[in-house]
Parts: sequence; C-alpha cells; structure tokens
Amino acid sequence: MLVPMKKATLYALKDDREAILLNLQRDGNLMLITTSDGNSLPGLTDVDSALEKTQDAIKFITVHAGKPSPLSPKPLVQYENFLQKTDEGAALSNQLTSLSEKITSLRNEAATMLAQANGLAPWADLDVPLENLSETNSSAYFAGFLAEEEIAAVQEELKEMPAEMLLLGEGNEGRALVIFAHKTAAAEVKGLLKDHDFTPVIFPKRTGLPQEIIDDLTKAATMKEGLAEELGGEVEKLSGKAANLRLYYDQLSACQERLAVGGEETEKTFCLTGWLRADRAEAVAKAVAEATAVYDLQFAEPAEDEIPPSVMENTAFAAPYEAVTEMYSRPKIGSLDPSFMMAPWHFIFFGMMLSDAGYGLLLTILLFVVLKVLKPEGNAGKLVTVIFLGSISTIFWGAMFGGWFGLEFKPILLSPMNEPLKMLALCFGLGAAHIILGVCMKMYLEIKRGQIWNAIFDQLSWLIIFAGLGLMAFMPDTQVGKYLALGGMTVIILTGGREKKNIFRRLLSGVLSLYNISGYFSDLLSYSRLFALGLSTGVIAMVINTIAHMLWQAGPVGIVIAIVFLLLGHTFNIAVNIMGAFVHTSRLQYIEFFGKFFEPGGRAFKPLAIRTKYVNVSK
Amino acid sequence: MISLGTSLALAGAASAAILAGIGSAVGVGIAGQAGAGVVSEDPDKFGNVLLLQALPGTQGIYGLLIAFIIVLNIGVVDGNMKELTLYQGWSLFIAGLPIGIVGLLSAIYQGKVCAAGIYMAAKRPEETAKGLIFGAMVETYAVLALLISFIMVNGVKL
Repeated sequence: MLVPMKKATLYALKDDREAILLNLQRDGNLMLITTSDGNSLPGLTDVDSALEKTQDAIKFITVHAGKPSPLSPKPLVQYENFLQKTDEGAALSNQLTSLSEKITSLRNEAATMLAQANGLAPWADLDVPLENLSETNSSAYFAGFLAEEEIAAVQEELKEMPAEMLLLGEGNEGRALVIFAHKTAAAEVKGLLKDHDFTPVIFPKRTGLPQEIIDDLTKAATMKEGLAEELGGEVEKLSGKAANLRLYYDQLSACQERLAVGGEETEKTFCLTGWLRADRAEAVAKAVAEATAVYDLQFAEPAEDEIPPSVMENTAFAAPYEAVTEMYSRPKIGSLDPSFMMAPWHFIFFGMMLSDAGYGLLLTILLFVVLKVLKPEGNAGKLVTVIFLGSISTIFWGAMFGGWFGLEFKPILLSPMNEPLKMLALCFGLGAAHIILGVCMKMYLEIKRGQIWNAIFDQLSWLIIFAGLGLMAFMPDTQVGKYLALGGMTVIILTGGREKKNIFRRLLSGVLSLYNISGYFSDLLSYSRLFALGLSTGVIAMVINTIAHMLWQAGPVGIVIAIVFLLLGHTFNIAVNIMGAFVHTSRLQYIEFFGKFFEPGGRAFKPLAIRTKYVNVSK
Repeated sequence: MISLGTSLALAGAASAAILAGIGSAVGVGIAGQAGAGVVSEDPDKFGNVLLLQALPGTQGIYGLLIAFIIVLNIGVVDGNMKELTLYQGWSLFIAGLPIGIVGLLSAIYQGKVCAAGIYMAAKRPEETAKGLIFGAMVETYAVLALLISFIMVNGVKL
C-alpha cells in the first residue's frame, strides 16, 4: 500500500524556530521541502566542518583504540541528555585532530630523514666532511655514481690524466665514487664521465663526515618515531572517552539536519513547507503546538504538479519485502506498491531455490536468534527477515522434495533429481501463475485509472490467449482452447496499434504486438532457474556428503577430517546458495513480475528526525 | 577394464568441471582485482564487495555438479565402474559440454559485470544489490545450460 500524503505549511516566529524544529525532529514525521534557492539556516557551515572534523577524529581514535564490538548494542541516551551539548566532545575532537596532525608530521619528518640517511649510505666511507668537498684554486671534483661495468674503463683512462678516483660503496644507481682532478684536466674528465653515463650526486645541505651525518639523521628519525609513539599512547589514553566523541558526532549530525532547510522568511517570521503521511497530521500539529502558541499550520492535499514522496506500508508479513521492492525502486506516487503481492512469491521461490529442509531448519533457528539478539534495523533488518521467512519456506519445499542436508528422505511431492520433467512442469506452472498475476495487476491499475479499454485490449486479450493455450495443452480434445486463443489474437491484431491513424499501419503494429508472445515465452522459461538452483544446492550437498563418506572410511583421523569437512562444506554451500536464491528470486520479481505493471521512480521519504549512528536516543 | 565409452564419459565430466571451473576462476579473479582496489580505499566495503566477487563463482559449482552426476552415474564414486558403449560414452561427453562451454564464457563476462558492479558499490554502497542483479542477468544463461546438461545426463540410460 502506498500511504496517502499531505503537504503542511507552517508560519511561525523566528524566535520560536529552534524550539519548533527540535520538537518536529523529535516527532520525526515531517519531511521539510527545500526552497528553490536551497537556503539553509546560519551556522550550518560551522556544524558541517565540526562534523567532518569529528568524523576524522573518530576514525583516528578507532585506528588507535579499536572499534566497539559490532555485537554490543548502541548505548542508550535519554533525549534530554542528547540535547545537552557538552564542551567535552568538542574539546576532545579538537585535541584528537591536533594529535593526529602532530603524529602525521612527525612520521613524515622521520621518513624524510631516513630517506636522506639511506641516500648517503654509499658515501659512508668518505673521510672528507661534506662542507669541505668543494673546488679549490687548482682542483675540481666530481662526485656521483657509475655503473659497475664502466669503472674499469674509466679507471684506465684516468691514469693518463692528472686525476685521482676514490671508490666508495654500492648505491641504487651504481658505484659511488669521487674523482679529484687538476683544474686543467677538469673539462677532459667531465667529458670522459659523460661518455660513461656518470650520474652526479646532490648532497644534502649538511656539515660533517657522511658517516656522522647518517648517524645523526638515523638518531633524529628514531627520536621522532618515539615521539609519535608517545603521542599514540596519549591517544590510547583518550580511548576511554571515545563514547563521548561518538555522542558528540550524533548530536552534531542531528543539529546539521535541523539547520539544513531554511525556508522563506521575513524579518520576524518564517515559513516552512513539508510532506507528511496524512494519518500523522495530528502528531505534527501537536509537536508544533508544544513549542509555541503563535503559529499557523495548515495541511493540504498535494497539488496536481506536486510529487509527494512515496511511503510504503504493509502487513507484518509483507513489510520486510518492501526492502526488496526498494532495491529496484520506490513505486511512483499514484501507482501500486507491489510488496504485498510480491511477498508470497518471493517466499515460495526462495524456498524452492534453497530447497533443503535441513538447511532451512538451521537457518530458521540461526536467523531467529539473530533477529532476537541483534535486532537489526532499517533495510538490513528487513532483508534479514526476508531471508528468515525464506528459510521457513525452505523447510517446506525441502520436505516436499525430500532434501535433508543433501540426503534424500521421503519426498512428499516429487524427487526433482529423478523426475526432472515433473519438476520443470511445476516451475513453469508457478511461473505462469506469477506472470498472469502480473498482467492482472496491470489490468487493475488501468481500470483504477479509468482506462478500461486499455485493460481489455492490452491485458485481457493476453489473458484470453493464455487461457486458450492452456486449454489446448491440457484438453486437446475440445476446440474451445483454439477458438479462445484465436479470439484473443484477433483482438490484439485489431487493437494493438490503435494509436496509429493509418489503417494499414494500425494492423501492422497490431500484428507486431502479437510478437510479444515470444517475450512471455522467454519469461516463462526463465522460471526453470527454480529447478536449476534447487538442483545446485542438493547436488553440492551430495558431493560434500560423498567425499565425507570416503574420508570416514579412512580410519580415526579420517573421521575427524570428515566431520570438519562436513561442517565447512555445508556452511559454504548454505552461504553460496542463500546468495544465489536471494539474487535469482529477486530477479524473477524484478524482470518477470515487475516488468508487467510496476511503475518505478518514487521519491524517498526522509523526515526531519533524530538519525543516529552510534547511540540510541530514548524518546 | 575401462571401455572407450566409459573414458569418453569421463572426458565429458572432466570438460564440464574444467571449462566451467576455468571460467569461474577467471571471473572471480577479474572481480577480485576490482574489489581489492575498492577495499584499499575503504576497508568497510569488504562485505559488499565480497558478495559481488563471489557471484561468478557459481559456474564452477555448476560444472562440478554435472561432472559429479556423470561420475556418479558411471560408478566411479562407489568403485564399480560400468562399461559403457561408445554411444553412451559420446552422449555423456556431449551432455557435459553445455555447462562447460557456457559456464566458461558466462563466468568471464559475469566477472566483468561484477567488477563494474564493485566500482558502482564503491561510489554508492546502498546500490550493491543492483550490481548483484546485473550479475545475475548474465548467470541466467549458465543456469539454462546447467539445466540442459542435467536433463541430457539424466536421459542417458546406462
């Protein structure tokens, strides 16, 4: 069901704005509409930047102090306490930010120093202080690297010149060396070195012997690392206060949401518009009235050109399946929420695809515990419930097909492995019913909109063809089926192109729309996946059992391995097949079922509410 | 004594497992590379990404499934190998091909689709499910091939 929506318009005094917004947020029923200029309330940018900073601080403290366990419930905070913003959170956030910056810069400095020390390593044996390594009146020097194989040749040629070569350690670019030459020979030596791919070195601007410099740099780097470690220790000391930081984050994000929409305003007053569920008007009115006595609040039906957000509401059984619908898209306003019609099919198909009663039983128990203990919320909670319901269906279908942990035990209906054709017939039968229901839903939509002829020409005609084809297949003796099918086809040929003016083109597109039969046919074949996925669960479970049986016969060690193998194997099989069953069941809904009638494109309903990430707020 | 027919049937089982297995290995590999890139940016997306990476792995399972049924039917598992005629052998060999060949190619393409889905999940983690559905569209054909292989294997009377 799509819930009817109303539009609220509120005029009030600016002085009361904060109180009103707080009350509306606590009530959580009104989605504020952003004005065309998208203005927000003053102070939003400050909150934005504080929020960003706090998020980084939380990330930083998590790296140092670890996450809270995902199993532990969120701490519960009283609403009154949630509103009181403490300076502690802000201070903590600032402190952590500066610590994080300090640690990063210390680590960077240490890394730079170590890199310099590494670069100098080949020169460690040079017993000339770097500051003394310079040209004199009568001599020049060349310091750099030469490839190992070039050294002999250079040495040979240098013998002829007034120059001396000092070989040093091995570096990345080759052998480090220094050549001292008489000024007169400098150009000659330079040319020689160039011929042998000499790479000159640029020394860091430091004084002293290379070895001393390396020692100094390494020592300094270690010291900086140590300082960073110490600061990290300080962060760990703060980790006890991480809960405050998380609370501060949630407070900021609630504040951010309140400030996001400004609305129109005059000097003293402001005006807000928003969407709400028609049945929640009273709650919103009460929330405003509690904050101020000076206001004007009106509720109106949405105008023609306005598109309210889509809100789905369903029975307890169908409600979790809203998450499946939402994964495709929210239904367009004014169309149909397919969740309630889709739910039983999703339930049936999921069970048929997983199709092992043993697996179903295990999953039912496991997910029941998960739902009771962890109480997952939102879409995740809905999806877990969908799989939980699906595993109940799995027990049913497993018993029908006689699959218990891959062992066949008294199939009630049929054994898919031994009677594949019967099984396929069952799949196609269910598929046909599913497709026909989809066509009926479209018919319902058209009739509801007053397009009765569309319903007759485009949907009823097909239903008649299906009925005719069905009769032809199951009662070949009577001619009724044939005439029904032919009748339906005639209607389609005559009316399929009714929007075309030209009579020939109209008939031609009528004939072409008959071609849709291939679409329906391929939709139907698609349901064979019900069989194939069930087969995959059953046979893989059988493979696991067979291998475990072989191991079992290999003696006591084999028995232990067999048990481990059984546990791991079946766990793996369950995991892979839950995913397969869910994805393929959803696909059958999206392509084969939704394709017939569903109108996607609804907007999300996101009321102003307290949305927290780390704490629960009690109201 | 193993007849030529029996060894042909074994070749059918082998090709189903080998080809579909290679396909899945390549497909999961392609998706895994994309996944590692995304996780390096945001380790919290590991769960979403892993689901998408696992999807092209099913073809290998389907191949194993057909191979296992062939091997089971000709009595390799319980140790009493049947002597198949040449025609029975050829039939089982051919029956293994649909899932082998379609599994090989579909898993590779599914891997590419899933890699794209992983990039999508990186930008919009709430849309991971849509990436899964895109992957499932490719898998349809592996499912169909599995079905036809199974019906063929089941139809060969020994």
